[in-house]
Amino acid sequence: MNQPILNSVDKAAKVIGKTWPLYTFVASNPLSGYENTSFQEAVSAAEKNFNANAFPEAKLYRQAWEKGAIDKQVLISLLEENGLSESPESYLKQIESQKRSEIINGNHEVDRIMAKWLASFMDEGLAEWDMPYKSEGFYNSWRLLVIYDSETGTTALKDIPKTSVEALERLLKGYTESDYTRIFTHHLASLPGWTGYINHRTTSNSDWQKDFPISLIDYLAARIWTTQKLGLPILPEESNYTTNTEIQKLQYLWLKAWEQTWQGQLVQTLENESIASPSTRTTDVPDVQMVFCIDTRSELIRRHVESKGNYETYGYAGFFGIAMDYESANDGIVRKACPPIVSSAYKVSEKAQNTKKDQFISFKQKNKISQFRNYFLRRMKNMLPSAFGYVEGSGVFYGLSLIGRTLIPRKLYQANDKKSSKMEHLCQPDINKANNEDILPLGIPLEEKVGIVKSAFDLTGWKKFAPLVVFAGHGSHSANNPFSSSLDCGACAASPGRHNARMLAKLANLPEVRKVLIESHNILIPENTLFIGAEHNTTTDDIVLFDSEVPASHKPLVETLKSNLLKAQKTATQDRLGSKGNSVASAQEKANNWGETRPEWGLAKNAGFIVAPRSLTKNTNLDSRCFLHSYDWEMDPSGKSLEGIMQGPMVVTQWINNHYYFSTVDNNTYGGGSKITHNITGKFGVVQGNGGDLKMGLPLQSLFGSDHRMYHQPLRLSVVIQAPISRVSEILARNTHLKTLLDKEWIYLIVMDPNQKNDLFKYKKTLQWESASKNNTSSKILEKEIAELAFSELAV
Amino acid sequence: MTRENNLAVNSFQNASNTSDRNQKPAITKIVTALLWLLFSGNLVYLSLNFFSIPEWTYGNLFSINGFTILIWTTVTFFSAIVSSYASNYLMGFRYHSRFMMLCLGFTISVMLLVMSNHIGLLIVSWFVMGIFMSQLIGIDKDWGEAREALKFTQKYFLTGTLFLAAGIFVLAFYTGEFTLTGLASAVAEVPLWLLTVSALCIILAAVVQSAIYPFHRWLLSAMTAPTPASALMHAGFVNGAGILLALFATLLFASNTLTILFIIGGFTAIIAQFTKLLQVNVKQKLGCSTIAQMGFMIMQCGLGFFNAAVVHLILHGFYKAYLFLSSGEEIAQTTPKKPLELKIGPLQAIIVLIFGGLGAYLFATWTGKGMVMDSGIFLTLIVAITVGQATYNIIKEHSLSIVQKILVPPALFIAGIGIYALMYNGVTVLMSSMPMTAQPTPLSWTQIIFGVIFLLGFFIMKLGVYKKLPWLYVKLMNLSQPHKKSVLMYKSKSI
Repeated sequence: MNQPILNSVDKAAKVIGKTWPLYTFVASNPLSGYENTSFQEAVSAAEKNFNANAFPEAKLYRQAWEKGAIDKQVLISLLEENGLSESPESYLKQIESQKRSEIINGNHEVDRIMAKWLASFMDEGLAEWDMPYKSEGFYNSWRLLVIYDSETGTTALKDIPKTSVEALERLLKGYTESDYTRIFTHHLASLPGWTGYINHRTTSNSDWQKDFPISLIDYLAARIWTTQKLGLPILPEESNYTTNTEIQKLQYLWLKAWEQTWQGQLVQTLENESIASPSTRTTDVPDVQMVFCIDTRSELIRRHVESKGNYETYGYAGFFGIAMDYESANDGIVRKACPPIVSSAYKVSEKAQNTKKDQFISFKQKNKISQFRNYFLRRMKNMLPSAFGYVEGSGVFYGLSLIGRTLIPRKLYQANDKKSSKMEHLCQPDINKANNEDILPLGIPLEEKVGIVKSAFDLTGWKKFAPLVVFAGHGSHSANNPFSSSLDCGACAASPGRHNARMLAKLANLPEVRKVLIESHNILIPENTLFIGAEHNTTTDDIVLFDSEVPASHKPLVETLKSNLLKAQKTATQDRLGSKGNSVASAQEKANNWGETRPEWGLAKNAGFIVAPRSLTKNTNLDSRCFLHSYDWEMDPSGKSLEGIMQGPMVVTQWINNHYYFSTVDNNTYGGGSKITHNITGKFGVVQGNGGDLKMGLPLQSLFGSDHRMYHQPLRLSVVIQAPISRVSEILARNTHLKTLLDKEWIYLIVMDPNQKNDLFKYKKTLQWESASKNNTSSKILEKEIAELAFSELAV
Repeated sequence: MTRENNLAVNSFQNASNTSDRNQKPAITKIVTALLWLLFSGNLVYLSLNFFSIPEWTYGNLFSINGFTILIWTTVTFFSAIVSSYASNYLMGFRYHSRFMMLCLGFTISVMLLVMSNHIGLLIVSWFVMGIFMSQLIGIDKDWGEAREALKFTQKYFLTGTLFLAAGIFVLAFYTGEFTLTGLASAVAEVPLWLLTVSALCIILAAVVQSAIYPFHRWLLSAMTAPTPASALMHAGFVNGAGILLALFATLLFASNTLTILFIIGGFTAIIAQFTKLLQVNVKQKLGCSTIAQMGFMIMQCGLGFFNAAVVHLILHGFYKAYLFLSSGEEIAQTTPKKPLELKIGPLQAIIVLIFGGLGAYLFATWTGKGMVMDSGIFLTLIVAITVGQATYNIIKEHSLSIVQKILVPPALFIAGIGIYALMYNGVTVLMSSMPMTAQPTPLSWTQIIFGVIFLLGFFIMKLGVYKKLPWLYVKLMNLSQPHKKSVLMYKSKSI
């Protein structure tokens, strides 16, 4: 192995992110390789490598400016600090004077040929005829086939080195080691979507990767060989790329002003709340407690549920703390169901409820038949000459389906929706160790079950238990939508969260778990408390309860809850869709209309992450712009829970937020471009039009109201934590990667310190804080000094 | 009262308000309503006058008969579905209104085409149809690759129109007839060489439009069109060949060029069906499938069954429009699968043969095709193999019970063949006034050879022999690449 080459590949690989398959679309930061450099440096480097925008387009600033989302005073003072004294209008005009550019792609031929091979090799079952020699890995199969490729020109097999490393050694002869990284960076960055998918495959080691391996080295060898064969330069000329740094500076300042404006409004709101409702400790026990995901969409439904009865809600990461993979009873495929940054310790599968064994068997039988039906149709369509006979025999049925799906999507949805949780009524989830090779699953030790249940209550600052506690995961329903998984639960690796919720409910109901909880951890769950799983359908705001095993004692409570949830669905959809009429009907239509490109908005508009008790946000409408994690600083003296929240959910929300940012500022490069010309490739991704680079992010329709009108506002995430400032600083000092995210300005952090009359402080740099409070400006200076004094010690 | 309160309090910034929502352009609503109206009007007229649609002519410009109404009904149906779909799908697209206008323009040009009697009108509407389609392909003017695709496809369509004009003018100037009806009756007086030249030109125009090999590449480069435009293209536009050939059936018979049609159609059907197997992009896969189906349609014309070709183009339109409009459904997590082993027991083989024969018998009796030894036999053979394949797949499936295995295949093929026969007989009635559109030819060696080739193709596919030919894979992969300049040609950046 040639070490300099391998090292250079590693070094160059940071230029690309990871392209996630659309069946588990994880919103991640496309520039994650740069998280150790500052945000500004990272975006400039990426601008050069990808010819991509670093900051929002001029029209977005214009729209934000015109609707007042950028505060004039804030902007002016930022501009002045940087020695810019003209009027904001004139600077905005300067930004707008930049014109759109379109240049011929210098690597057109190589890019096109490589995209052709990569798409063929990485296909995951869309083609009936696999690329030959696929199981020998990308380089080998490419090598054995390229000799027939007239587009590359004639070659003898013996002229192509046998291994990719050998090929690179030979191709790079005559170049210095310092050139290596430049060469590799250039070739990796030319098709960032495809190389990002190679990156995903090698790190996730998926089933497809195991059977058909590919690596960045394979890709580089094939590509650089092709480049040379076509007589093109391997080492790109030093690009005469010049960015207008003056404009970039302006764009950055405008962005900061926009972010600060938003933070100011958020701070003001929270401050008013903390004064209006000083953490009222009510003594009455609510009728029902419901736990939702921290997802921004939960904020809306929680507001509406709370208003419909004596209900209390919590925010907790939607995988409910169970690091699990889930084996579907429908297709037998095992999918990850916890955040991608967490490795799965458990595997959850389904087994029949005790009284429903026979029904489960016939359910499985029906699944098999429907799988066969799909296989049968595929065969009939693909084979000669049945394809022709099939079209003639079935054409009329397709015609009828055309009419049905176009004219009555809602009716069809209602008919199908009834069947959608059939499995949950027959089965119960069953937890086991993830890499249990035994034939007989043995379950998991009691203390691990207790641990899972306990941390749910620890992290959310739970105090009293209502007779009914509902864990509600969330999932989305949409038709004909390649990006549907991007609307599912990010904390469950883009799966619906229902099974994690059901699992946690089952564990919390176990008498032996409750026994340990009271005996060893002093957590008393009353005997009459029942836990059940549920799922919040984010497209229709319907909440379906998995209540088939509820005992008679709790039936009335469940029935009341159900009817109140229906009311909540009605008002929530009215609020979200802005319609006065039958908003549930329009939501259902959106969920099943095959021509709908915006079934729901997902996490668009996200800008904040609030870690605090619900009482702090309960009386405000946060417009689905904030992730909400329940946390009570008083119940977490050691700071362990907060540390967990900052290491887990905070990092995940940063990924999501950065993904939304980049997909918005350059939708064609970092996002998916417009859905209307998408062409699905390999069952896992999309390309635009006739082909090209694999698209790596969210489509235009998930981010923009129209081609021109902004919907998501590309702001970096502002995290707000209610906890003593010293505790937060300690955690940051212990976790350098979190501190780096802040120091390098990938996210903002604001702390509301209950020890200092709930005043707010904003993280500056290197564990320095400045006051961010809006109300009591008089004490601002003083407290700032105190705060800085307190933490300069820590910094040392 | 805090509970009520938190709903009433407005958000501190940008609470959703109506200005955040998209309004459909007014033109969308008008065009969609108009197309549905046209469709229902046609459908009602067609149903009421089914058995006696009057011939209606206007000077030597227009001639409207059962066939005209049939195609009007079909094309307005597709346009109406597509525009309903597009009114949601293209919401917020900056060229939404333009799309609707092009869609309407395309529909009108097709309607004009099938009602033309004067050849000038025919050629102009053919030309305009191509212009509308390429404008839909390149509707996004800010997208370099789409502009390239527009230019590329437009070249094809212009070539097609030139051939059409040449083919028709040769005849017209020789006979002095400038209407379709006039030409059809004057064909008998034209020398064979001239008929052949004319027929070849018209065939070329037809196969360019239907993306028949070697003119297939435009269709595989046309994915820059928004999805609903693709649906319209694959369900409407490419069918031009079937319509054109049916209109010139007399000429094709008189010039003895049917065999040529049969051969190019047959080759295209086989090549495209194999090429489809290796496509990794869903729209290219559908594109290859369309090419194969068009090949089959041309074959049907070559057998003298222009009515069958018209039925095929309608049914294929349903099928392909559906698949395009639902092409976003192809994302799925899967695991690599080993190909299934092919095993068939003697009893199963007998059932396959019996059901295949039964299917062929039903098809022959219900459609009247293949009852005597003529070209209809070929179509009957296709049906027999299809039924056999369906039966084969069903009887070797373990999850089905014995009863299901015996009952499902007949239920499927009786329903399929029955509905097809209804369509076929209906279309035959509507086309009855057109000369030479249901004229089986005598069984020829070419047909027998292709019958054998199809059977071979069937076994090659079944046994997966093709998977052992890497050179063929690369060859077909390159054959199906889109136009080079329509992929990764530009780098653009908006600031």
